[in-house]
Amino acid sequence: MENLLRRRAAFVCHSCVRSARQQSWRNYSSVPPRPDIYDVVCVGGGPAGLSLLTALRANPNTSHLRVALVEAQDLSRIRSWSLPPDKFSNRCSSLTPSSVKFLEQIGAWEHMARDRVQPYQEMQVWDGVSGARIEFDWAGAAPNTGTTIAYMTENLNLTSGLLKRLEELGGVSTFDNARVEDITYGEETEELDLREWPVIQLSGGKQLSARLLVGADGANSPVRSFANIEAKGWDYNRHGVVATVELEGEGWGGEFTKIAYQRFLPTGPVAMLPMPGNYSTLVWSTTPSNAAFLKSLSPKDFTAMVNAAFRLSTVDLEYMHTQTSGQDEEYSWRMEHTPVDHRAVPQAVTAVQEGTIASFPLKLRHADTYVAERVALVGDAAHTVHPLAGQGLNQGQGDVQSLAKTIEYAVTHGQDIGVGMSLESYVSERYAANHVLLGVCDKLHKLYSFGSGPLVPLRSFGLSAVNALGPLKTFVMNQAAGNGIKVF
Amino acid sequence: MRSSLLRPTTPRALLRSSPKPRQLLPLSSRLPPPPPPQPCPARSHSSTTTTSSVNETEISHFSSLASSWWDPHGPSRPLHLMNPHRHDFIRSCLSSSPSSPPCSSLTYLDVGCGGGIFAESAARLPTTTSVTGIDASPVILEVAKSHAKRDPSLAQKLTYINCPVESLTLPPVDIVTCFEVIEHVDYPSQFLSELTKFVKPGGWVIMSTIARTWTSWVTTNLVAEDILGMVPKGTHDWNKYLHEYELREWFQKDRTENGEKKWGEARVMGVVFVPGCGWKEVRGSEKIGNYFFGVQRLA
Repeated sequence: MENLLRRRAAFVCHSCVRSARQQSWRNYSSVPPRPDIYDVVCVGGGPAGLSLLTALRANPNTSHLRVALVEAQDLSRIRSWSLPPDKFSNRCSSLTPSSVKFLEQIGAWEHMARDRVQPYQEMQVWDGVSGARIEFDWAGAAPNTGTTIAYMTENLNLTSGLLKRLEELGGVSTFDNARVEDITYGEETEELDLREWPVIQLSGGKQLSARLLVGADGANSPVRSFANIEAKGWDYNRHGVVATVELEGEGWGGEFTKIAYQRFLPTGPVAMLPMPGNYSTLVWSTTPSNAAFLKSLSPKDFTAMVNAAFRLSTVDLEYMHTQTSGQDEEYSWRMEHTPVDHRAVPQAVTAVQEGTIASFPLKLRHADTYVAERVALVGDAAHTVHPLAGQGLNQGQGDVQSLAKTIEYAVTHGQDIGVGMSLESYVSERYAANHVLLGVCDKLHKLYSFGSGPLVPLRSFGLSAVNALGPLKTFVMNQAAGNGIKVF
Repeated sequence: MRSSLLRPTTPRALLRSSPKPRQLLPLSSRLPPPPPPQPCPARSHSSTTTTSSVNETEISHFSSLASSWWDPHGPSRPLHLMNPHRHDFIRSCLSSSPSSPPCSSLTYLDVGCGGGIFAESAARLPTTTSVTGIDASPVILEVAKSHAKRDPSLAQKLTYINCPVESLTLPPVDIVTCFEVIEHVDYPSQFLSELTKFVKPGGWVIMSTIARTWTSWVTTNLVAEDILGMVPKGTHDWNKYLHEYELREWFQKDRTENGEKKWGEARVMGVVFVPGCGWKEVRGSEKIGNYFFGVQRLA
């Protein structure tokens, strides 16, 4: 009763309420055994986590939320990341126009090194076995949708730009170089019942209590494990080999019409994606043993293998994988006997940048749901997709955009942003859409992994048919550009 | 009561055959003189005075729902889904009049707050200074209090009092809310005079209830309670439903001592529950089912 009367005094004076409230917040943070209370704790400072925090900080409706970022790496090094103009990181992503629009909205796009971002206007996709081809170019297919299909960006350019924007916005409690030791639940005291609130225990003893814990912590998400959300899927038994390569020129279309190339080989697709100037980034999905083999080659032989992958027959290419060395000479000799339309394949690779050849295993994973009480998953923590459509990072951006909108709605309507009810719209907006994309990329991978048999002519017919049908092609391109018709 | 309504009948016939005509109109003449309100021993937890607007059967019905009040998939789900629309409606009312209180520091009184779905959400808004939630059921109010402990941001702004509105002592507030309550009250006229006392001039009374129509009987009583079981049986008493014009008329007749208008023009928004989709704003639907009602105090 006494307590009640004391609280009732609240509406006597507004400023008293405010000072009392501030005091109570301060109390939470100054008493050591009690965890610091946050509205949003985001574990993971990759593109998804940083975009979410930037979106929340940049929006006046959510900027009052108390937010924290937990990241294992040293973020100051990523923020100050820079490379000379003729060097490019090997981890690049294709940002769709809708992802770019979102980054513009939250004010991060202008903080990126724009001279290191390469838009492309055409796509060339063909079947490595039958040669059936589909050409995508906006000029012919969809004159009203702008000319850029997507923007090639180094992932570090994106994260660095986001960190700079976050620094400008301020107000994020950042715990970097910090490991999540454990996630538990809060306790019940006389005044508070935090038994449903996740408490993140950091290395060094710091404890953060979260109204909403966001798992942006990658494919092996500890937050997902904490929330008991299972991620189902399979490994493709494929690795993605990446490298930054230099071409003989700035592309067949010149400086202003850049083209992305992808050839489906029975071992997986190989893609050459344009970067500024004469540079391109390579993503070659292949078997783990082929990946190890490619990584072991000399730069000269590796370059020959990449050129061969876009030009030679699958039989020739297979043979070259069995040679211990000398691929360079083998390639030159075989090219003399292979008729190639040079303008239909990427310009020849002349060099590979030192230290940029790397590989990573490819898998498909989809979490059973994206939310639990006081937990939400975004990006790779929620789904991992085959890179053949370049959609992984964009899916994460789509998640973040949707979650930020969901949080904004909850905040402006007085809902507790952590409870399942407030997060329902995030799941309904993203789950089915992501599932469709995961499935399409998975089926494409499987369809093209046959080197022979009845499926080869069928799929070639499919590609040729798609190529001949304008509206269908436009639809496919719209999907790739992330501004497609909303299926759900 | 229900049995007489089970006979197929048109709305008009239904109204005529209704054994207990709605007592709201004309409130002043037709109503039996309500028992005089007794002052409540201020802010006592346990004071459920016998003389109040609230009906004991209603209290015990809602008390029995206490445990499921905050279950988002339980019987209160429609209320949870409706809550954001309440805020939208309040905002539209406030912005409709230049003499509304400033939106940066609002005080609320929520009459019949139940488990605190609205009261908590109002207290969570950064634009809110304080919220007082009152409810006649001590059981429900305990649910509200223990649930509020789950959110540290509420303690400084939200106060619950177990008390009928007649016994409440509170300085006037900017916004008096009363959601899905008046259709459970025995003497709505008395109830309205009591709760409107707590609005500051310039402030708003915001309510929501259900129109007494054939459609609302089918949807709220027959479908929601009897067929789908979405809402527990006995939640709705169709005879207590109120038309928006009945409320409008009450506020028009409520004048100052000099006979001047005390209330502005009422604002109404009809909403329809679409299973699987939630509540949708449908213009004109206030005539047939659930609706929000807002009116600004002029003097």
